This record gives sequence, structure tokens and C-alpha cells, in this order.
Amino acid sequence: MEIKLMKNILSANDEIAAQNRKHFAERRVIVMNLMGSPGSGKTTLLEQTLTRLTDKIRIAVIEGDLFTAKDAERIERTGVDVIQINTAGGCHLDAAMIQKACESLDLDALDLLIVENVGNLVCPAEFDIGENFKAVVLSITEGDDKPLKYPLIFKESAVTLLNKIDLLPFTNFNLQSARRDVSTLNPTIKIFETSCTRGDGLNDWTQWLLERTAI
Amino acid sequence: MHEATLAENILDIAIDAARQNHAAKIFKVGLKLGELSGVEVEALTLSFDVLKKNTPADAAQLVINRVPCRATCNKCGKNFRLERYNFFCPDCDGILILQSGRELLVDYVDCE
Repeated sequence: MEIKLMKNILSANDEIAAQNRKHFAERRVIVMNLMGSPGSGKTTLLEQTLTRLTDKIRIAVIEGDLFTAKDAERIERTGVDVIQINTAGGCHLDAAMIQKACESLDLDALDLLIVENVGNLVCPAEFDIGENFKAVVLSITEGDDKPLKYPLIFKESAVTLLNKIDLLPFTNFNLQSARRDVSTLNPTIKIFETSCTRGDGLNDWTQWLLERTAI
Repeated sequence: MHEATLAENILDIAIDAARQNHAAKIFKVGLKLGELSGVEVEALTLSFDVLKKNTPADAAQLVINRVPCRATCNKCGKNFRLERYNFFCPDCDGILILQSGRELLVDYVDCE
């Protein structure tokens, strides 16, 4: 016999993500899912972001990595509460991991929770964790062809950070074509050009983020 | 991506459905996978074939249907098959809203 199901393969994750989203809304905390390749500069960008925002809003961070607490230690030095999740080989964070991590956070005392996902342009885009919006970091040295090669993550994100923009003169990265590809994939996406060594775009980016938490 | 996780979920859904319908053996599991879902079919089949051993789905085959990306313009309302993931309407200045192509579904289970 044939049983018709039409059941979402990720429904188990999506159900927990919906619980997380409800929980965050009740606690009035905005959650950003920060994604990007390994080495794109997510953690450095996060350090720079925290430095600019900690005197304005209350922030905590969840760090996702396969192994080690290296990133959490870096975030801790900025004085922000941080929880490290080690996926031990897992390619992305899922909703259940976030639910568990949030048990050790006082959400009522937060305006913004930033989740730095495992470095990967594929899987994190598919797994809802209950966030308000996704952000994707694409560094100049990764190449301008990445948006069309990994379309879903750019399609799903509210904002793209073209990071390490100071390295542009040393590469064949075509900024115009990268911006066009990101926009055709996602016409409403916001794009920032940032450099954490030179400081380009960081004030604009953090101002945008600040406005998102005021909603 | 995480094909092993997907295979595990597919197997759970199929075995659950078979059990609820008092079926002991699963022959086929039909999937609908959108073009934009990023699933590597070979890796998914391999993971499924490893995980299905010693379950009611021991002899089950995955039947995979790819679903193309289609989108509707938020201004003129026309429906398009998406080329090169361009979400600007080719006919007006509207934006295309995705209607299909993100499916990750267990469509049906064939069992007895």
C-alpha cells in the first residue's frame, strides 16, 4: 500500500525552532544567526561589533564550532557572556542545540543574542534555529563566484557582509558582479562592505544592527 | 550538506508511518527535493542504504523527485521558472517570491 505523507524531512528541527522563536519573542530578545565560511572573519567581525555595541545594548553570544573553545575565549575577552557549543564534527547548529544552550542564559536580561554558526556556506542555511534573521559573511579572498555557487544562504539572509574589503586591490574579486549576484538572489538584502583591520563599514553595520534590535 | 542527518530523519518518518499502518516491510520511500535544497543525492542514498539495515526499511529504495524553482512576481503576478536564481521579474520591476524549489519532503511510503 502507498501511504501519502508530504512530511517535511526537517520537521523535527522546525518544531523546536518554532518553540525557540516563541520563547525569544516572549523574552523580547532579538536573535541573529551569523553564518559564513571558515576563515571569512565571523569571529573578528563579532569582536568589532561587540566593542561598538556593548555600551548601548545588552548582548550575549552562542559560539558554534566543531571543536575547541577558542572563539568563545576571544568573545569572553570583550566582556560579553558567551556559551560554546561543540558539534564534534557536526556541520551546523540545530534548534535543539540552541534550546539547550539558552537554558544557561538569562534571556530577560538581553536585547540581542548573536549565534555564530559553524563555518560552512551550505548546511546552516537549511536549519532554522528560531532566529529573527540570518546574516552571512563573505570575505573577498573567497571569490566573487560564491553567491551563485551557494545560493540558499544568500537567499535566506537579511544581510550580507562583504568582509576583508581592504584586500580588494590584491585579488581579482569583482565587487560589482558579487553585489549584483547577491541582489538578484535576494532583491531586499542589505549589503555592507567591511574591513575589521581598517574599520571600513563597521559603524554603518553596527548602526543597522542596533536599529534591528529596537524593533 | 548533512545527508546523514536527512537520511536518519527520512528513515524515522518512513518507519513511523509504516508502524502506524501496521505494515512490516517498506519497499519504497518517495521524496520531493527542491533544486534549491542543496541535497547531494548520491550521499543521501549512500547514508540511507547504510542506516536502513536491520530495520523494516531493509529492502527499501529511495525514489527521488527533484522539484524545479518556480516563483511569482509580487507586482504583475506572473509565474516563472527561475533561471540562474534571478529574483527580479523579467517582465516588470517587481520581485519574484519563491513558490517551489525548497522542498525537503517525504512524499509517500510504499509498504505492506
